[in-house]
Amino acid sequence: MSSRNHDQWNATPDLQQGEWVDSKIYSDEEIFEDELKKIWSKTWIPVCHESELKEAYSFRTMTIAREPVIVVRGKDMVVRAFLNVCPHRGNMIERRPSGNYKRGTPSGTPKTMTCMFHAWSFDMKGKCVNISRKAEGYQDRLNESQVGLRELKCEVYFGGFVWVSLNDDIGITVEEFAAGSLDVLAPSLNEEPLEVFHYHKAIIPCNYKLWHDTNCEFYHDYLHYHNRITGFNEAYFARKNSGFDGGHINVGSFEVQYDNYEGSHSREELSFPHLPPNHWYMIDMFPGVNFNLRGSALRCDLMTPLGPNSVMIEFRGLGLASDSKKDRQTRIDHHNSIWGPFGRNLHEDLLAVTGQGSSMHPMAESRKILHGRHENETIHDENGMRHYYEEWGKLLNRSPSNPDETFKPYPAFKEQEAQRAAAAGK
Amino acid sequence: MAEIKHDLKEQVRELIYNTCIHLDDHQWEHWHDNCADNFNYAIRAFSPEVQADIKYHGGDKEYMQSITSMLSKHNSDQSPLRRHCTVYRVDVAADGKSAAAISSLAVYQTQLDGINSHVDAGTTSIFLVGRYNDKFIIDGDSIKFEDREVRLDTRRLDKGTHWPI
Ligand code: FES
Ligand SMILES: [Fe+2]
Repeated sequence: MSSRNHDQWNATPDLQQGEWVDSKIYSDEEIFEDELKKIWSKTWIPVCHESELKEAYSFRTMTIAREPVIVVRGKDMVVRAFLNVCPHRGNMIERRPSGNYKRGTPSGTPKTMTCMFHAWSFDMKGKCVNISRKAEGYQDRLNESQVGLRELKCEVYFGGFVWVSLNDDIGITVEEFAAGSLDVLAPSLNEEPLEVFHYHKAIIPCNYKLWHDTNCEFYHDYLHYHNRITGFNEAYFARKNSGFDGGHINVGSFEVQYDNYEGSHSREELSFPHLPPNHWYMIDMFPGVNFNLRGSALRCDLMTPLGPNSVMIEFRGLGLASDSKKDRQTRIDHHNSIWGPFGRNLHEDLLAVTGQGSSMHPMAESRKILHGRHENETIHDENGMRHYYEEWGKLLNRSPSNPDETFKPYPAFKEQEAQRAAAAGK
Repeated sequence: MAEIKHDLKEQVRELIYNTCIHLDDHQWEHWHDNCADNFNYAIRAFSPEVQADIKYHGGDKEYMQSITSMLSKHNSDQSPLRRHCTVYRVDVAADGKSAAAISSLAVYQTQLDGINSHVDAGTTSIFLVGRYNDKFIIDGDSIKFEDREVRLDTRRLDKGTHWPI
């Protein structure tokens, strides 16, 4: 058989469970709503970095599972998160991406979050401190203590990232949620304060998981000239992908040969603390967070799923807060030569997932997407994606390869191989 | 003297416009030829999200030369970018040895292969808007770029590009 007819094309691949997924998981409206409800509204999501909230009264706004969120630093320097929604008539309280409440707003006094609509205002702990003309309108039927903001779970953890959960009953800390997946970079990120030096965003017509998959698999080195020329040696192919509870993975390190790419140089001098020179670790956290430390610069991708075929990705670059001006500039150049909007690799990655989004749009016939490479859990093994979809299947109770059926736990690969051999023998 | 200055202003304008043609048409060598040895290039934008001025891309002449020489090794969106540029102001230094210019810039992108070419190829949209802030060295008849800052208003570049702006 060479090319295939429709039935052959749609036939179940001759692979084991977990080694392929149905493309419906990347395009179906109902599955997308399920994901927002059962995954994105339930878990810890990093939303920004504390260096974006340096001073008391500073704030940042964002969205989690379509809910507008605001993060503020109080007078006590504690970072808190609230729904960015006014309890009066539901206006979004803060419209700006960032700012500081030390200065008043046209409708509000300094040091309060004030809804511009009817000027109800709130302190940095979410307490309502003013209902305009309260006595005239509400007499003694409603007072400030009844109309505080909705506070959200919030933690600053792992090199100063701010994590928020919409789920009051989450019951676990970020550390517990990470299940050890952050340990590999914790010494490098926790040694001294970090600072964001790069931010840009992209809205891409593809499912958010396609971006996460791309961050989880390195077989796509064939897309990147830079990776092939600076990697592709024995140490490179020995890099391990390891899974952690909760669907998180780590991609192990090796020494990048930067000098092999014209115009690029060793990053040894500006290595992050405790990181061997020119090494490159990656952490991919469920359901769609990426921490990527390449020698001198940390990249972090945060995703906001907008629809089954639309995702906003925010790209941040971070260095050490103590950087000299010159060192900072070098880190920025290192980061953006590969990962900026004009960088060598990012553009290629984004082109590829855009192509996937074009072929797996919501009206497309579903296809079998292969995640079946096994290479001893090394760099071109696709165990990272398989590990992710096992968790995804569990949480949604849907089989990734047949999402209309309920989830059955994936047997370990060796067991699957044994089953396969037994089946072949009979 | 006033006439010489007027003439230099006109030559600076011409250089900016010719460079737009070079960049539109990927005549990278012509672009590099018109840059001084100490040339510096940067694409920058202010991010209100993180309240910081951000350098997206750039480097010295040698670096920009390596960027353009490596293009064929990379997978790139080949959708053409077309500049619309208006030189707003040229200031020539009193000694006639340097100049600075501010130009308004819009870059249009006409889809070719970036999405689904059957459907999208031929569609034009605005890729970015911003300004060129340029500095020049003047030495007799020769005018060369000493510095180019592409100052972006647009901060959603989505897929981005491998090409200098
Ligand atoms: S909606 Fe906010 S004060 Fe009325
Ligand atoms: Fe990549």
